[in-house]
Amino acid sequence: MYFRSLRFKLTLWYVFILGILLISFSGFLYFTLSNSLYRDADKKLRSLAELISSESTSPLFKFGFGNIDQALETAMNFKPIGKFIQVLDESGRIGKKSENLKNVQLPITLNALRNATNGLITFETNRSFENIPLRIITFPVKENNQVVQIIQIASSLEDVEDALNTLLIILLVTVPSALMIASLGGQFLANRALKPVDRIAQTARMITSQNLNQRIQTLKVKDEISRLIDTFNEMISRLDRSFRQIKQFTTDASHELKTPLTILKGEVEVALRKKREAHEYEQVLESNLEEIDRMSKIIEDLLLLSKADIGEVRLQKEDINLTRFINDLVEQMKILAQPKNIKIETSNHHEEIHILGDSLRMRELFINLIDNGIKYSEEGGFLRITLSTEVHSREKSPFSLMEREETHYAKITILDHGIGIAKEDQEMIFNRFFRVDKARSREQGGSGLGLSICKWIVESHQGDITVESELGKGSSFTVRLPLYPH
Amino acid sequence: MRILIIEDETKVANFIKKGLEEEHYAVDTAPDGEAGLYMAEVNEYDLIVLDLMIPKIDGWEVLRRIRSSKNFVPILVLTAKDTAEDIVRGLDSGCDDYLTKPFEFKVFLARIRALLRREGTVKEPFLKVSDLTLSPITHKVIRGTKEIELTSKEYALLEYFMRNPNKVLTRTMISEHVWDYHFDSMTNVIDVYVNYLRKKIDKGFEPKLIRTLRGVGYILSAERQNLKKG
Repeated sequence: MYFRSLRFKLTLWYVFILGILLISFSGFLYFTLSNSLYRDADKKLRSLAELISSESTSPLFKFGFGNIDQALETAMNFKPIGKFIQVLDESGRIGKKSENLKNVQLPITLNALRNATNGLITFETNRSFENIPLRIITFPVKENNQVVQIIQIASSLEDVEDALNTLLIILLVTVPSALMIASLGGQFLANRALKPVDRIAQTARMITSQNLNQRIQTLKVKDEISRLIDTFNEMISRLDRSFRQIKQFTTDASHELKTPLTILKGEVEVALRKKREAHEYEQVLESNLEEIDRMSKIIEDLLLLSKADIGEVRLQKEDINLTRFINDLVEQMKILAQPKNIKIETSNHHEEIHILGDSLRMRELFINLIDNGIKYSEEGGFLRITLSTEVHSREKSPFSLMEREETHYAKITILDHGIGIAKEDQEMIFNRFFRVDKARSREQGGSGLGLSICKWIVESHQGDITVESELGKGSSFTVRLPLYPH
Repeated sequence: MRILIIEDETKVANFIKKGLEEEHYAVDTAPDGEAGLYMAEVNEYDLIVLDLMIPKIDGWEVLRRIRSSKNFVPILVLTAKDTAEDIVRGLDSGCDDYLTKPFEFKVFLARIRALLRREGTVKEPFLKVSDLTLSPITHKVIRGTKEIELTSKEYALLEYFMRNPNKVLTRTMISEHVWDYHFDSMTNVIDVYVNYLRKKIDKGFEPKLIRTLRGVGYILSAERQNLKKG
């Protein structure tokens, strides 16, 4: 589990990259240093050789056996410490030697000797000499372009190699331990940075439909993690809202169904408590029938809306001559308006209006709206239904500012002079089960879903529905539906 | 016993009223919180049945206002709100009982009897003064060994007397607890009914239980001396 975790991967990458960096840096350091140390040693050997050979008073010019140290000291006031010097003649026979060589001699390779007789300088490293690593220069001394003698100077490489070895040891110890420390530090940092992720996961795991009011604690610093938390919290809020809506809807629906159920049960129970006259039973049965009808209506409407919610209602759209359609409907509705002596007037557009719609749903829509108008009008009032067209123009897309799209709408307004709707209620009336006046609505046989269904019908036809109203003066519902061009 | 029903659903209020009246209760109804509060204030009820989701002033507020005016009339909340939270909130807000809709009418009546019993001094399920007993459940009235037939109003009147024995009951008190608000208390209907009742429960029995206190009202008592005004 741990090896798959993000913090492990982060640490691993971090250590890997740091390791490559450290190793290449160490290598670079080691080779530069060793190069420079060797070059330095060579330079010293060469300058010494040059110095010795260039001096005219040099004891070199008198070839022979003996101690060269003394000769150098007396001639040049020079005491070469830590250097082995031996002088050979041009054929490679050994002459003078420095004192520290005692009875041994510096090794000379064939290659170096050949070079020297050809007048070339040779640098060599030799490890076979008394267990001391030596750097040897084989330097030809020329006179009139003629090699007369060969000087060999050697110096110990022990110091250089010691220094390099020490450096190597230091690097071998420090690089891995630096990587260890870095991996711990990296893990600590990864832990620190990822800790909120654990908290998010923990909270998210605890959240169920029961505690959607919980939120993940936000961070003080606004970084990526805090953005993640904000996003999470917003998502929970959205879930919370929709859960609440569903809950509210369920409560409302069950309450709506409980009222007729209470009446049914109560009336029957009271009626059965003793023997009664036939007409009393009749009354109860009639009232029960009313309640059953009401329940059926609520259930029907609920079913329609829930089907609409999941997109299961299929619309059979056809060409509807709206002008004729509304006029026919109004003729039928006049029968309903008669008992309250309400007049319905229609004012038509000068030309016929066509829309593409499901005629059954359109019927339901306008019957609902006109019926509401009748229900909430006083006796002897009147409704006015107006048909017209409207053009809405909007930019086609945000990128083409010049191109504008024009949509032509049929606009149907149903105006009543009834009780009106208070401002604060106006935006609620399309909500399911919202009722301005519960008692009145139920008396009129409403399910509390009529306007929700109207809204759904209009929107499923790409239109919109709005209301304007003033309390006590009346309401005006406006439906806009896209025109069907002919 | 007089009961107020605060319920906006006319049909619900109607069948409750009908059912209660058939059990000899005097019943008034109020269609909203405002009317309900007003009626609870001006009349003296033995019990209030309250719906929570009612227009103008909601049931919670009605409950709060009745209790804050130091009116401790038993209140039975009758509502479709049936979650545990609602029931707890209702009982904690000061109602005495909580019944959810739809409900069994039998249970509703039993709860009303229990609430009325709880309020009175008599904790037994039946009422008894001397050798006169009355059962609020079966509505049977027995004097000695004889069962007495009473009309609905006579029964309601007797129940009120028997729930308040040894107390002087004025005509106003009687009219308030036995009749609903349609009753015109200026008539002598109360005297007429008390006389009917007297004929049925006292005629031919000793001791006489109902006595008239001239200019004051009536008292139901087995003892002649005990005439404290209640």
